[in-house]
Amino acid sequence: MKGLARAFHSHRLALRLALLVLLLILPFILKESWVSLANEMLIMALAGCALNIMLGYTGMVSFGPAGLYAVGAYATAILLTRYHSSFIIALIGAPILAGIAGVIVGWFCVRRSATYFALLTLAFSQIIWTIIFEWYDFTGGDNGIVSIPIPEFFFTISHCYYFTLAVVGACVLLLWTIIQSPFGKTLQAIRENPGRTEFIAIPLKRYQLAAFVLSSVFLGVAGSLYCVFSGSVFPDYAHWVKSTDMLVICLLGGFYNFTGPIVGSFVYILLSKIIAKQTMFWMFFLGAIIVFLVLFMRNGIVGFLADKFSPVTDPAPGSGKDGGGR
Amino acid sequence: MILETQNLVKSFGGLTAVDDVNLRIQEGELASIIGPNGAGKTTLFNLLTGHLPLDSGRVIFQGRDITGLPPHAISRMGIGRSFQRLNIFPRLSAFDNVQVAVFSAQRQSRNLFSRASKLARRETEAILDSVGLLDKKGVKGGLLAHGDQKRLEMGIALAVEPNLLLLDEPTQGMSPRESAEITRLIQKLVKEKGLTLIFVEHDMNVVFGISDNIKVLHQGRIIFEGKPEEVKNNEEVQRIYLGEEKDAWSSR
Repeated sequence: MKGLARAFHSHRLALRLALLVLLLILPFILKESWVSLANEMLIMALAGCALNIMLGYTGMVSFGPAGLYAVGAYATAILLTRYHSSFIIALIGAPILAGIAGVIVGWFCVRRSATYFALLTLAFSQIIWTIIFEWYDFTGGDNGIVSIPIPEFFFTISHCYYFTLAVVGACVLLLWTIIQSPFGKTLQAIRENPGRTEFIAIPLKRYQLAAFVLSSVFLGVAGSLYCVFSGSVFPDYAHWVKSTDMLVICLLGGFYNFTGPIVGSFVYILLSKIIAKQTMFWMFFLGAIIVFLVLFMRNGIVGFLADKFSPVTDPAPGSGKDGGGR
Repeated sequence: MILETQNLVKSFGGLTAVDDVNLRIQEGELASIIGPNGAGKTTLFNLLTGHLPLDSGRVIFQGRDITGLPPHAISRMGIGRSFQRLNIFPRLSAFDNVQVAVFSAQRQSRNLFSRASKLARRETEAILDSVGLLDKKGVKGGLLAHGDQKRLEMGIALAVEPNLLLLDEPTQGMSPRESAEITRLIQKLVKEKGLTLIFVEHDMNVVFGISDNIKVLHQGRIIFEGKPEEVKNNEEVQRIYLGEEKDAWSSR
């Protein structure tokens, strides 16, 4: 195991390059349906990373990321269909509008912490869902919006895939940069001990709101990408079930690792497709997976692997006696 | 005068935890607050740092009225504190624990795009060095020994560059040797950084060893204040301690 760990670490760069090459040649080696699946994985990976800014890095458990994801998706859809705006505007509008929605929702939510915060986020996402569901004239209600005028370029799945890959890649790099910054470090301090940060002159609520808005902006990007990918939007995007998907993706991959949600998205979507094809009881298996994760692999797949393969004998966060119980 | 309080009052239900307290702390002073358990010492600290709202009274810090300001604003103005119960960032390394506070002091916390690991290294290491934790900078805060966590907490408080530092039982839970080390550390820091210090402490060796001035709090009121010798010889103080903590003088 030790030798394997060392080999893994010394070949890190090579592994990353191999992964990048794999992502780039994917449309040439896989069938269209699998490329389409990969596209979905990328989008959910971004949504997971966006949620994880709050969840894993600031310690704010949100049950409502889907609401803001849907704001992004509907922003692009409505800008294109109702306002006939250019594609670029429709894309850029999504994170901006999701960010504005994040400011409003977050302003209320950060007033409370822990369970109450989580319940508020759930409540707001249901409010967003209801607005989408009921406002027929504007959002199409339960019919959603279909045949959105996406540029024809994206009808070819490989084009769409490369576009998604580029946007998700840029966003993930940006999020990575933010996590490594003094701001990112400050968010982690807030996760560890929110009360203490106030006594090192950090205005806690303002920083929590900033994390909320940041997360909303990138959720908006993910939503917008999904709108481009599928060419249609539905109220389901805002539903709490969608939020659960995002939470499970973070949990599955491990939310104390930056790459956790990315790995989580890959495994989760693959599993859901494979299992859903074999049986009608996908939800049963999903439940079983969540139970297993929470009981036996609290740090997720990446956390588990990092534990096994890490050359340093430093206990992973949350696994030691100091950790976890949030 | 660096800190002055005027008629501070705080009650919880029927209990008046802090009752008409008037503190006057001179710049550069090393003041301690003693008193039996439940005398209101920690509550008093919580009032000074904005952690709890006052019922009435005013807090003046460096000539400015800071009554009712939130903790982060008071902290920004130069009042730092450490806590009675350990209060660090357990899963961040000792280095990161201090660095986050240094970022705040340097007003860098809002910087989203620079690499934290390349910033404020020297300042952070200097603080870790001054509290004697430089060789443990990579260890997660929560995995440090109790005494080291206390040192780390002091490091976090110092990193914000306070003018006035409030320490709530800095030697709590320490062996006599550790406690003596911390005492020396406190004296050194006060001298080096020109700090004013107020500390709450149960260990009378520490209190009498380093205080310029001692305030005795009993049932929310300051019943006596003076130099260590005066406090030692005061009958009322003795009675309170002999009454409620029989061996406070003799065994400590």
